[in-house]
Amino acid sequence: MVRVLPVFRRSLGDSWRSLIGWSLGVAAALLMYLPLFPSLGGDGEMQQMLETLPPELVKTLGYEQIASGPGYTQGTFYGLIGFLLLVIAATSWGSSSIAGAEESGRLELTLAHAVGRSQYALESALSVLVRLAWLGLLAAGIVLALNEPSELGIEPPQVFAVTAALVGLAFVSGAVALLVGAATGRRILATAAGAGIAVVGYVFNAIANQVEDAEWLRSLSPYSWAYRELPLVEGADWAGLGLLWGLAAVSVVAGTLILRERDLTG
Amino acid sequence: MTPAIETIGLQKRYGTHPAIHDLNISVAPGTVFGLIGPNGAGKTTTLRMLLDIIRPSGGVARVLGADPRAGGPTLRRRIGYVPGELRLEGRIRGRNLLRHYAEISGPVAPGVIENLADRLGLDLNRNVRTLSKGNKQKLGLIQAFMHRPELLVLDEPTSGLDPLVQREFLELVREARAGGQTVLLSSHVLSEIQQTADHVAVLSTGRVVAEGAVASLRLGKIRRIRASLDGADPGGIEAELATVPGVREVTVIGDEATRTTRLTATLDGEIDPLVQLFARHRVGDLVIEEPDLEESVLQLYGGSTGSASGEEVRRG
Repeated sequence: MVRVLPVFRRSLGDSWRSLIGWSLGVAAALLMYLPLFPSLGGDGEMQQMLETLPPELVKTLGYEQIASGPGYTQGTFYGLIGFLLLVIAATSWGSSSIAGAEESGRLELTLAHAVGRSQYALESALSVLVRLAWLGLLAAGIVLALNEPSELGIEPPQVFAVTAALVGLAFVSGAVALLVGAATGRRILATAAGAGIAVVGYVFNAIANQVEDAEWLRSLSPYSWAYRELPLVEGADWAGLGLLWGLAAVSVVAGTLILRERDLTG
Repeated sequence: MTPAIETIGLQKRYGTHPAIHDLNISVAPGTVFGLIGPNGAGKTTTLRMLLDIIRPSGGVARVLGADPRAGGPTLRRRIGYVPGELRLEGRIRGRNLLRHYAEISGPVAPGVIENLADRLGLDLNRNVRTLSKGNKQKLGLIQAFMHRPELLVLDEPTSGLDPLVQREFLELVREARAGGQTVLLSSHVLSEIQQTADHVAVLSTGRVVAEGAVASLRLGKIRRIRASLDGADPGGIEAELATVPGVREVTVIGDEATRTTRLTATLDGEIDPLVQLFARHRVGDLVIEEPDLEESVLQLYGGSTGSASGEEVRRG
């Protein structure tokens, strides 16, 4: 009767409905945007439209490359809607797994059973990661399926490179939310931290896009770590992925250690 | 024999506010130990320290021979716990929630969960969040009892339960003791402690203010009296009451219009003299009840009385 990863399995069991919701959102975004590309980008119309926009706006949105298939996919989904959806999902999952469970009183009961605190934190983090990976792979599958019909011209291996970047970027938010939840037990603080690091990263990246002197801000922006080397064109940027996944891993480990030390609040 | 639970000088401070001072209790294996006291006395804080939910600021706790923190999951598998504030949420059926905890702290013998649910009258197919407070509490009891742990730590376990289910619960506790399990039961329901516990400690503002075998504590003798007597003279009643030993806190109110006299009092002594007194009048209404533990404990032990172990109790 004793089986492996009970916390992980319960967390997935509790959240499959919300996971379906997020999956539908990701699929809908891709199915709305990508099929439009041939009519927009194919005949230079997109390029014309971009020229009418203020260059600052184009740079802020990262739309310089939008006339190409990979640039369009990056600009619409991976850099914007997909980023938004996965970060929100990750933050919500990360903050509910410890802080939410603690506020609801569930954590006290669970930890009074034969579950170690490290085990609880690590299985919770794994559950967030697996759900994010599912969303990332679902998106990758849809992009690959639409690659030819929508004339995106993406090299298939690069789809996995950008997926690793997107999932890593979202997992940073999830892991930071988990860390702050583990440290404070307050869901609202955990959510603010997870969303905050995503927003700050995005803003730093946008500033660096416009102001040459602010290029150094990219080194502080998880968003830049993920996308600065255009993984849909250039393939995996191992340094950027290392920073993303490294920061996420450090956050999870720190959260685990802090949770071990402190009193639970009810 | 090693105590099932032992605390030596256990302390817990929140910031500078001391919640538990220097707590010393010892629970013999195979017995039921009652921890009673008013709200805020530190019962929940104490039990949470035993489960390693929170950590002591000082002193030593030993649970089944192990330090709660060092014992870790292995130790907690041997404990069943009902939290004082049981809140269950989520779209999960009672049965699946129990299966989840059984996987963690099991093994659970086949049929035990169904049997407990049957005895307590709980539908395991309902979603947890749709359950009433009482039904959630039943689920809380089942998850604590189902794996037959060596030690049961129950924090206000009957809150929200109706009287029939409370009786079934007391039966469960007796069976647990008969089966060699140790029970630490916190409650502010006096009768619950009296009916099950062998030994009791009274906690007030984070200290043990009295401790001993249940029978020795005299808690059971206090009664609150409320009566209304027809056609009696309030002054006379008051004088009569003053002659009954153990009657205190008397208030007498005469109602000219209906010619009734209403009175309330606290009795700490034999009931018979008081009943004799009432029998000389026409009794319109009579209520004799056990007071809240809070009242009786504070009344008995709230002053600077010595605890049963003879220690001088200082009030903080």
